[in-house]
Order: sequence, then C-alpha cells, then structure tokens
Amino acid sequence: MTVEQQDCVALDQFPVGMRVLAVDDDQTCLRILESLLHRCQYHVTTTNQAQKALELLRENKNKFDLVISDVDMPDMDGFKLLELVGLEMDLPVIMLSAHSDPKYVMKGVTHGACDYLLKPVRIEELKNIWQHVVRKNRGSNNGDKKDGSGNEGVANSDQNNGRANRKRKDQYNEDEDEERDDNDDPSSQKKPRVVWTVELHKKFKFRLYLKRISGNQQAIMANSDLHFLQMSNGLDGFHHRPIPVGSGQFHGGAAAAGMRPFPPNNGILGRLNTPSGIGGVRNLSSPPSSGMFLQNPTDLGKFHHVSSLPLNHIDGGNILQGLPIPLEFDQLQTNNNKSIIAGNSMAFPSFPTSQQSSLPNNNNLLVLEGHPQASPSAFPGHQINKRLEHWSNAVSSSSSTLPPPGQNSNSLISHQFDASSSNYSIPFCDSTIPLNPALDHTNPRAFYRATDLDSNANVQPGVYYDSLQMRQSGNYGPTTDAMLSSNPKEGFTVGQQKLQSGFMGGEAGSLDDIVNSTMKQEQSQGDLSEGDLGYGGFSSLRTCI
Amino acid sequence: MLGLGVDRLQADINRLLTSLFHQGVLDEQFLQLQQLQDETSPTFVYDVINIYFDESEKLLRSLRLLLMDREFSDYKKIGLHLNQLVGSSSSIGARRVRNVCVAFRSASELNNRPGCLRGLEVVEHEYNYLKNMMHELFQLEQQRLLAAGVRYPM
Repeated sequence: MTVEQQDCVALDQFPVGMRVLAVDDDQTCLRILESLLHRCQYHVTTTNQAQKALELLRENKNKFDLVISDVDMPDMDGFKLLELVGLEMDLPVIMLSAHSDPKYVMKGVTHGACDYLLKPVRIEELKNIWQHVVRKNRGSNNGDKKDGSGNEGVANSDQNNGRANRKRKDQYNEDEDEERDDNDDPSSQKKPRVVWTVELHKKFKFRLYLKRISGNQQAIMANSDLHFLQMSNGLDGFHHRPIPVGSGQFHGGAAAAGMRPFPPNNGILGRLNTPSGIGGVRNLSSPPSSGMFLQNPTDLGKFHHVSSLPLNHIDGGNILQGLPIPLEFDQLQTNNNKSIIAGNSMAFPSFPTSQQSSLPNNNNLLVLEGHPQASPSAFPGHQINKRLEHWSNAVSSSSSTLPPPGQNSNSLISHQFDASSSNYSIPFCDSTIPLNPALDHTNPRAFYRATDLDSNANVQPGVYYDSLQMRQSGNYGPTTDAMLSSNPKEGFTVGQQKLQSGFMGGEAGSLDDIVNSTMKQEQSQGDLSEGDLGYGGFSSLRTCI
Repeated sequence: MLGLGVDRLQADINRLLTSLFHQGVLDEQFLQLQQLQDETSPTFVYDVINIYFDESEKLLRSLRLLLMDREFSDYKKIGLHLNQLVGSSSSIGARRVRNVCVAFRSASELNNRPGCLRGLEVVEHEYNYLKNMMHELFQLEQQRLLAAGVRYPM
C-alpha cells in the first residue's frame, strides 16, 4: 500500500499537462477532440495531416507523450502512421475510428496501438488515456513485475505504479463505463465502443489490480494463488478438474505459480494454468470480459477454499460438492495458516465436523469464508479472507442448517458467475453465477438478492449472508445485514462478488484489515462503477448494492 | 419586458432541444458538446457545428457527383466519405444523420448502386433537416443573448 500510495502521489501530477498530439483529417472531430483533451488538462497539439504529424514527432521525440490518431486519413493510412510512430519513437498511440468493425480493431492492436477508441469520443475515455503512457514507460523500465505465471497479458503490464494510478483510472473508468453503458445498450453488457477496446482496457485495469494485489500480498498470494487457481479452475466450470487438493501442492504450486495471482488478467489465467498440481487449471484466463477479472480477485479467495475442496465434486461449477473438502482443508490449514486460505481451513474444519453431507452447500460457504486469520498481507484477498472468515464463523455456528440454504446459495452463486461473461463459475455454486458484477450489470442486483438468501437459512446461512453483506458493501467492506438478507440465495453470489470486488479493491492489508476495509468498502461501493474489470468492476457491484 | 423576453426565448430553446432529442435527431453527445462551451470558448458549439456543416456539405456534394456518374464504381471512396460523415455526425450528436450514414455505408459495402442512391437521398434529407433545426436554434440563442445583454447592461 505504501508503495502504491507513494506512486499515486508521485503520479498525481502526471496526467495534468500530458502532451498529446492529435491527428485527424476530419476538422469537426479534431476540434472536438482538442477541446475534450483540454478539458482533461492535457497539453494538445493538433494537425489534420499524418505527414505533418510525423514531421512534428521526428523533429523532437520528446515533445509528446502520447499520440491519438484517426485511422482513415487521405494522405496516410492511420495504421501506417501507427507503425512508424511505434517503431521510431516508441510512443503510445491511440487509434480513433468511426468503424467499430473488429477487423480494424484487431488491425490496430496488431500494429501496436495502445488503445482503439470509437467515435464519438467521450471525455471519460480520454481521462484514462494517460495510463497508456505510464504503462509504456513502466513496461520498458521493468519487465520484472512479471507475474510469474505466463501472463498473456499486455506486454506493458506489470506496472505497479500504473496500478497505483489505477485508482484514478478506475474512477475514470468507472465514469467511463457508466457513461458507456448509458450510451450503449444498457441492457447488454458494456460494449462502449469496440469490444476490444473495452476488453483491453479491462485487461489493463485488471492487471493493475492484480498487480496491486499481488504486490501487496506476495506471501499470501503464494499460498492463495494455488488455491485461487484451483478455485478459479473450479469456477470456470472445472467441474471435473482434478484439483490437487493437497495443500502442500497448493502452496508449492502457488509459489511456483508466482505470487501474483492476479497480475494481469492474463497473468492470472496464466497462473491458473501454470500450477500443474492444480490439475490443469483451466483458464479462468481468457477473461474476455472484464467481469472475469473482477471476479478473479474475489474469486481467488474463494478459489482457495474451493480448491481445497474436492474440485471434482463440482458439477456445474459446484466445486464444493463432495466431502473431500474437509480433508483438503486440513491440508490447507497446515500449509498456510497464514495464507488466505487459512481462513478456509478454519472454516472447513468446522464444516466437516458439523456436516459432511451437505458439503456442497457448506463448501460454498466455506469458500467464502476465507481465512479467518488475517495475514498481514495487503493482499486484497484479505478481504476475501475476511469474508471467508465470516463465513466460516457462520458455518461453524450452525452446521446443520446449512444445507438447505446452501443449495440456494450455491445455485445462486454459480448463476452469478455464469452471468458474467467470463467462464468463471464459482465452484461453490451449483450453477455458475457470474460473480462479476462488472460484466453483468444485473449482477449487482444478484448480489443483493443473494443477500436475501439467508432468509431461508438458519443461522448459518444467515451468517453467510452477513459476511457477504460485509463484503458487498463498498468494495470490500462488509455489507450491511440488510443487504444480505435481501436474497438469501444470492447471498452467496453476492458475497462472492463482494469478495471479488474486495479483491480487486486490493485494500490489502492484513486479514484484519480486510475486514475493516470491507466495511469501508461499503461506503466506497458507490464509487465503483461497473465496467472495467478493475475497480470499475467493483463499482458496479457497489452501485447496485 | 426584457426579462420576459429572455425567459421566453430560453423556454423556446429548451423546447426545441427537447423536441430534437425526442425525435432522435440529437443525442447526448450534443450535450457533451454544450458542456465543452465555456468562458474560454464561448461560441464553441456554434463553431464546431459550422465546421461540421462545411465539411459535410463538401462530402455530400462529392458523394452525389460520384453516384451520378454513370460509370461509377468507386464504392471504396464512397465508403471513406461516409466513414468521415459517420464520425463527425456522431461526434456532434447528430444521431439520425449518423444512423442513415451507417445504413448508406452498408449499401456501399455491398456495391449496391440503387441502395447507395437511396441512401444518399435519405442522408441529404436528414442532413437538411438537421441544418434547419440548428439554424433555428442558433437564431434563438442569438436573440436570447441580445435580450439578456440588454437586460443586464454592463
């Protein structure tokens, strides 16, 4: 956190005064773009000819920080300009076009564009473009931040600092996302402009999140990564993935996988894939939708727990089904008391003892619980752990009552996961409920509903919901009980989502902090706007809540 | 009296804008355009829209020339022109014009000449309608400023 904070501060000044070169043969758009950029407090130079732009750039490479260029220009193809700028000057270039055809977007990306915006350009999108500059700089500076696992992510990723700025971006993104949604089809997922753009953005954000999280909680991540990976596997419809339950494996795997569970979206996915122990973790990766990312963080928490559980039990995303869970749990426990999963282990033990039969349900609960022990990791997972903790408490308190509510929750959760575009399916749930609120606008509602789940459940289920609530509120903060009660079934999903959001939020800190942060998150809920995987995703949850 | 004039004019302006929004002639992007107008650029909307009119009319004339030509075959060029029209129309919030341009663009991508001719007519029609509305809006705005100026003498 500290580092990030510092980064934030240091970068605080940065976007202001960023020097942008805008190129577009269309005078109308150019004029508007110039005005929008001025509003964002950037320093703008405009030209309607690509040749002139090249001259300006060649004249002094350090004169500009970023180039925004239209694709269809009479004197030179925008892609050509993009290539030349990339080659000669290595500046980030953003493409602009009135064409949303994915072919063009793909072309832009393959030619090295940092982003691809569709006209009409909105100010919210422009507010975020500075991240590309940071990313580019960071990428060239440190390729270190590797996520250990194969990050398919963007080459420039792994910029912690970039992540630090993430908050800002997230805010922007949030606005942007909301804006987008409003403008586009509100009923469908966000597709502001080009899907790719959104996805790319999300990926970037997500990665930032991951980075943050991973950065904070390296230790935790190590332990939890495996878990998450596993969990994610489960979530991802693993159903029959033979997850190496052995905690030892987890830990080892986690460590091997790299501490960053989430660094870039790709990274996460990569992670999942890397731990061989995990039994072929599927890719949660390919989180096509931002939702995926969002879910990852939170899901990770869950995953941990889930993974410990016999994943093969999961059908249709119900990882927790099956009894082996308790066993796994123990293993997990031993291995990582301090890991996020630890919480799970705690939760689990109680479960197994209390009721073995209703594992599926219980598992879900357990998963959510996370590690009661708050490792002093800033890892956002803490939040999840915290939640898990809550869950575990709930679980342990009422062992027998779980089954009925659990089922609901399971289904809910899984549904939620499914809802999100990503393939994540929460292992917990029977059905996959897309946790990712970002992806699915309706998800946030789901959360709320989830909270109501516990109406059916006895204490236990109720407890879960409470913890869910906790989580739901704010990004990571515990939601109010009221929220949870809204939908018992969905409580799970909600909680899970929360977890995710919590994860994303990366308040990271010790587990204890997570709990606290979750509480705070309640307040910040509103901030997150759905949309971007990163913070944006959370926000959506929050706002819904 | 003067005060009433300003209020009445403002009401007329609002009514006109509301109507245009309802008809789908304008969309929220136009609002963004208005928001960009401030003390540093007090005539921003007016300037941009005029630039838009100039550019668009050039493109429309060019399109008409191309399509009227018997041996016309350069659909790609039509596509490029239309692309620009789509971009600029959407940037100022001229939703209907943008939509019909997109339809026209699709026809051009299919090398459908009659479709293109029809498309062009529709675009010209929508464009003219928009232009008239914008003129009216600017006139009202102009009158309002005058009335307001008189009302609050410096």
